[in-house]
Amino acid sequence: MTSTFALFAPPNFLDDLLLRFFGEQTVNYVVWPFIQIGAVITLVAVWALYASYLERKISAFMQARLGPMRVGKWGLLQPIADAVKLLTKEDLVPEKADPYIFRYAPYISVAATFITFSVVPFAPDWGVITDVNIGLLFVLSISSVGVLALILAGWSSNSKYALLGGLRSSAQMVSYEVSMGLSLVGALMFARTLSLSGITTAQASDSVWFIAYQPLAFAIFLISGIAENNRAPFDLPEAESELVAGFHTEYSGMRWSLFFMAEYAAMVVVAGVATTVFLGGWYFPGVYRLAGGSNNLYVFLSLVVFIVKMAVLLYLYFWLRWTFPRYRYDQLMDLGWKWMIPASLLNIVWTAVTIFVLQALDGRLDTVESLNRGVNLTGQGKGVAVFMGFAGLFIAALFLAYLNRHSRDFNLKKQRREIKLVDVPKGAPAVARAAADNA
Amino acid sequence: MVLSGWESVFFWVFALSALVAGLLTVMARNAVHSALFLISTLVSVAALFVLLGAEFIAGVQILVYVGGVMVLFLFVIMLVNVSAEERGSEELFNRTGQVTAAVCFVALLVFGLFYAVNQSAGSFASNRSEGAGAARLRTAETGVSKISEDTQRVGASLYRYGALPFEIASLLLLVAIVGSVLLARTSKQELVADDVDPRVIPELSAAGELTPAEIEAAARAKAFEV
Repeated sequence: MTSTFALFAPPNFLDDLLLRFFGEQTVNYVVWPFIQIGAVITLVAVWALYASYLERKISAFMQARLGPMRVGKWGLLQPIADAVKLLTKEDLVPEKADPYIFRYAPYISVAATFITFSVVPFAPDWGVITDVNIGLLFVLSISSVGVLALILAGWSSNSKYALLGGLRSSAQMVSYEVSMGLSLVGALMFARTLSLSGITTAQASDSVWFIAYQPLAFAIFLISGIAENNRAPFDLPEAESELVAGFHTEYSGMRWSLFFMAEYAAMVVVAGVATTVFLGGWYFPGVYRLAGGSNNLYVFLSLVVFIVKMAVLLYLYFWLRWTFPRYRYDQLMDLGWKWMIPASLLNIVWTAVTIFVLQALDGRLDTVESLNRGVNLTGQGKGVAVFMGFAGLFIAALFLAYLNRHSRDFNLKKQRREIKLVDVPKGAPAVARAAADNA
Repeated sequence: MVLSGWESVFFWVFALSALVAGLLTVMARNAVHSALFLISTLVSVAALFVLLGAEFIAGVQILVYVGGVMVLFLFVIMLVNVSAEERGSEELFNRTGQVTAAVCFVALLVFGLFYAVNQSAGSFASNRSEGAGAARLRTAETGVSKISEDTQRVGASLYRYGALPFEIASLLLLVAIVGSVLLARTSKQELVADDVDPRVIPELSAAGELTPAEIEAAARAKAFEV
C-alpha cells in the first residue's frame, strides 16, 4: 500500500518543498523530470522482474499446472530468488568473442528501451515526463536502435547459433518496423500531431478512441509490435528448437538477464504506444467527473486507467505466446511483406479517403466540428468515420486476397500440388517435368 | 543557433564526439567497430540537429540511418569475411596519395564551411528574436515548455514546394529495390529453390539462362529431397 500512498502524495506539497531548495526553473526542468524518470525506471524494472513470474504463472494457468509455488506465498518471491541467482552467477565471456561489444551489447538493448519511456504520457499533467513534437517518431527511432544490440550480441559472441539469431532478428525487425510505422500514420491523420500527449488529447477532446476509426491499423500495429519484440509466435531469433537460444546463447548471469529486462520493458513500450494511439491513452469517459475537481486525484485515476489498458494488452502477449506455435521463417517474411505492409499502405489511403469524405460531407451533414485538437468530429461525423473504419477491414481483406492470390500459400504441400503441372505425379518436384521434357 | 549556457556545453560535447567518432570510423581495423563508430557519429549529429531546433530531422536521422541503413551495413559486414584486412599490419596514412586526397578534401570542406558561415552571418541576427516566436507556440502537456511546430513545417514545405522531387526520389528508390532484387537472384538459384513456374523453364533454357544440365541437376536434387 505504501506505493499507493506515495502516488497520492500531493505534488503541490512536494513542489513547495522543492521550491525551498531550488529555483523554479531547476525544479521544472531538472528536479521534477528526474523524480518522474526515477519512478518510471523503478516501476519498469519491477515489472521486468515480475513479468517472468507472470509468464510462468499464466503458462501454468493455461496448461492446468500450478507454476512456481515454493518461494514465498504462491511463489511470489521467485523473481527475487532468480535475481539473486543471476547476480551471483559467473559473468562468462567466450574466449574468441569481441570482448567490448560482447560486454556492452546488453546495455545498448536496455538503454534503447528505457529511453523510449520518456515520451510516453502515462497521465495528464505530472504524469508526463516530456512532451516533444516528434514523440511518436522518437519512440520508433529509438526502438529501432534496439535492433543493433541484438545483432551486435549475436555477432560478438563468435558462435554460429548466436550469429544466425542475430541475422534473423535484424531481418525480422527491419521488416516489421516498416508496417509498424506505417500503421500509425492513419491515426496521426486524425490526431494531426506526432506528440503522444497531443494524440491523447485529440481522443479525449473528441471522447472517442482511435481504435473505432482505425480497427485495421490497430490490428497491424499489434501484430507488428509483437514481431518487433521477438515474442512468440514471432520468436525466431531465439527459437529454442533450432538455435539453442539465438542471439543470447553465449550470455550468462546478469548480462543475459539484461536482455530479458529489455524484452519485457519493450513489451511495455509497445503496449503503451498502442494504448496511447489507439485506446485513448489515459482518457476514459467519466473519470474527470469522478475526480470531482481534484487535479491530483484526476491524474492518479488517469494513471490507473492507462495501466489497466496496458495490462490488458500485456496479458494478450502472454496469452498469444502460450497459444500459438512459432512461425516458420518464410511464413514470417511472407506475413510481414505480403500482408502487413500492403495492409498498412491501404490503411493510409483509406484513411485519407475517409477524411476527404468527412470534409466533403461537411456542407450537408455537419460532420467536422473543428480542426483545433486533431480532427474534431460531430456525432454524425463520428458515425461516418467509424463506418468507414470498419468498412476498411472488408476492403483490406479483399485487397490482400487479390494481392496474394498467386503468392506462396502457408501450406507448402498444397502449394506444391498447385504449382506443379497436372500430369506430374503428386509430390514430384516442378523441375522433374521440365527435365523429362528436355531428355 | 545562439550558443549560451547549457546549450553551448551540449554543442561542444556532441560536436567533439562526432569528430572523434568520425576519425575512429576510418581508423578502426575491425569493420564492425568502424560501423559502430559511424553510428556514434550519426547519433551525435542527430543531437546537434535537436540543438538547432530541427527535431524531425534528428528523429528521421536516427530512424533511417541508425535503425535502417547501419543495421543493413552490419548485416553485410557480418556475412562478408573481412578477417584479411583486420590481420593486416600496414600503418595508416603511409601513402602520399592517401594523405594528399585527405588534405584536399579537408581544405574543400573548410572552405565550404567558411563560405556558408559568411553567407548566413547576417541572417543569424534576425533569428535572435526567438522569444516572440516561442510565445505563439502551443504549451506542451508538461505545462512548462513549448511544443515546436517543426514537423508541421517540414511536412508543409515538403508537400507544397518539394512534391515533385519527393516523388522522383521515391520512384528512384523503387527502381533501385526492383533492380537489386533482379540482380540478387539468378534463375539458376530460383530453380534450385524450386521457385520457378515449370511453364517458364523451357523459355529460360531457350534464352540460354539455364542449361539442360542445370535443369537436370536441380531435378535430381529435388527428387532426392522429396
